[in-house]
Amino acid sequence: MGAGDLSVKVGRVKLANPVLTASGTFGYGIEFCDYFNVAELGGICTKGLSLEPRDGNPPPRICETSAGMLNAIGLANVGVEAFCRDKLPRLRERGITVIANVFATSVADFQKLAKRLDGEQGITALELNISCPNVDHGGIEFGRDPAAAARVTQAVVEATQLPVWVKMSPEAGDLRAVARAVQNAGAEALTAINTVRGLAIDADTWRPRLANRTGGLSGPALKPIALRIVWELSQYVDIPIVGIGGISNGRDAVEFLLAGATAVEVGTASFADPQAAKHVRDELAAYCAERDLAPRDLVGQLKG
Amino acid sequence: MPATRSGVARQHLDYTLTSREDLGAGYHVLRFSGEQPLNAKPGQFAMVRMHDWGQQPLLPRPMSILGGGAEPSILVRVVGEGTARMAEAGEGERFALNAPLGHPWKLPPPDHQPIVVAGGCGVAPLVFLADKLTTDGYRADGPKPQVLAFYGGRTDQDLPLAERLGQSSQLQIATEDGSRGVKGLVTKPLAAKLEELVAAGTKVKLYACGPHAMMGAVAKLAQEHCAPCEASLEAAMGCGIGVCLGCAITRTRGGYLYTCVDGPCVDAATVAWDERVF
Repeated sequence: MGAGDLSVKVGRVKLANPVLTASGTFGYGIEFCDYFNVAELGGICTKGLSLEPRDGNPPPRICETSAGMLNAIGLANVGVEAFCRDKLPRLRERGITVIANVFATSVADFQKLAKRLDGEQGITALELNISCPNVDHGGIEFGRDPAAAARVTQAVVEATQLPVWVKMSPEAGDLRAVARAVQNAGAEALTAINTVRGLAIDADTWRPRLANRTGGLSGPALKPIALRIVWELSQYVDIPIVGIGGISNGRDAVEFLLAGATAVEVGTASFADPQAAKHVRDELAAYCAERDLAPRDLVGQLKG
Repeated sequence: MPATRSGVARQHLDYTLTSREDLGAGYHVLRFSGEQPLNAKPGQFAMVRMHDWGQQPLLPRPMSILGGGAEPSILVRVVGEGTARMAEAGEGERFALNAPLGHPWKLPPPDHQPIVVAGGCGVAPLVFLADKLTTDGYRADGPKPQVLAFYGGRTDQDLPLAERLGQSSQLQIATEDGSRGVKGLVTKPLAAKLEELVAAGTKVKLYACGPHAMMGAVAKLAQEHCAPCEASLEAAMGCGIGVCLGCAITRTRGGYLYTCVDGPCVDAATVAWDERVF
């Protein structure tokens, strides 16, 4: 291989490098163009898009916890039409690889979203959010049930030419069954994992810190759980896994590759440092250069 | 370099702490230096994080900018782990400031008397504003009316930078326990002054920053007198740049404002002050 070749293949998708940004932590990508050349990343996953714009949950929506944070944003987003009209052209002109994260409350709406994005230039793949812990309908229950997860996946696969990735909930009773089901339904990759539901309480007021009461835990606190799930799933499915959960530096990314991920997503770390994903990419590149390896040589190489 | 709505590019800046001034009662002024000046306008904020935080505290803290330029400064009040760490920081410690962020204060319309209303830590962006207005000629010996300032706290311990604010305004202080200035809430002397000014036909522009309830009360007074009023919002933030959507504030006409990109300085009439969930 050529020195410095960081490219990886996630199903049909060839990424220039394995470092992506996680949905919900990177806006629509444009917000970060003030800080670095976002096109140098493997790609970005958009804020979860729904058919109609959504306002999201009442505040407070976030709070910090030990080495992490809880959020209950409630999938606030501009809607797929505004995304295609206002955001996508700007991503396209910058040469940014775009994974569109999509969310719906019914199989039919998932299918509509997939059809709507199918014809758009500048979208590389769809990432199905069937695992949001913070909405009443259509979130996590799709991700918990193998049959429901497969129904959504198959409906979307039939509605689009785009590769379909499925973002997994860590809370499915039988995560491997869900993974196998979406693989059989045509998913080309699994993204693992979405946030884990948590609760933060204010001991002064005796109230939950979030108006939604519970929220999704993200950040470094999540990493051991995410690594464990990536490792387990990688031994159980044949499709590539995109690893996510608490990645904030190059060595974290290496750990996910060793556990079996083909690519990674940087999430909450972008809040602490808007250039975090670039640093992860640079540090991963340096790690590989020092060892005369490519990132793909690390995938699934966990010993013992 | 792309520019934010204020016309100045936001950057992730490396700064070194040059001094920390302990004002007592948990308030500290932190001053920085770095290779680049901070080209901020009054009312803008920074996401502030110390290099040695590692993975905890995790998130940067949103801080109003007290002053910009070659020696930028912030006012810190200790409320949790992050601010406690900042309040112990020594000279030479490294900070990252993502700044300048958000909408600055809008300068007063011509022929309007500027009135700033501060509560506790909310004084910082108002000191910055009063300094700027004074430079622009709003002073006792200047071509424009001197800034009027109303500053409230629970006790005289809760009035950081009062002297500093007094240098660029005609200052009225109120404390709830009467330990300094008039006794009671700051809105009491403010209401009296508003009556007087409006009766005399003076047009006023209000700027409020402080506790949520105080800003809500100022917004109500402004509305009663048909006076324009801006408030600088405060909310927990993850990113400061409009991507985490954590800093939502309920809007009058439904939906939400995002403190970081729609604010922090907003038309006070757009905020549903009674709606906030604590």
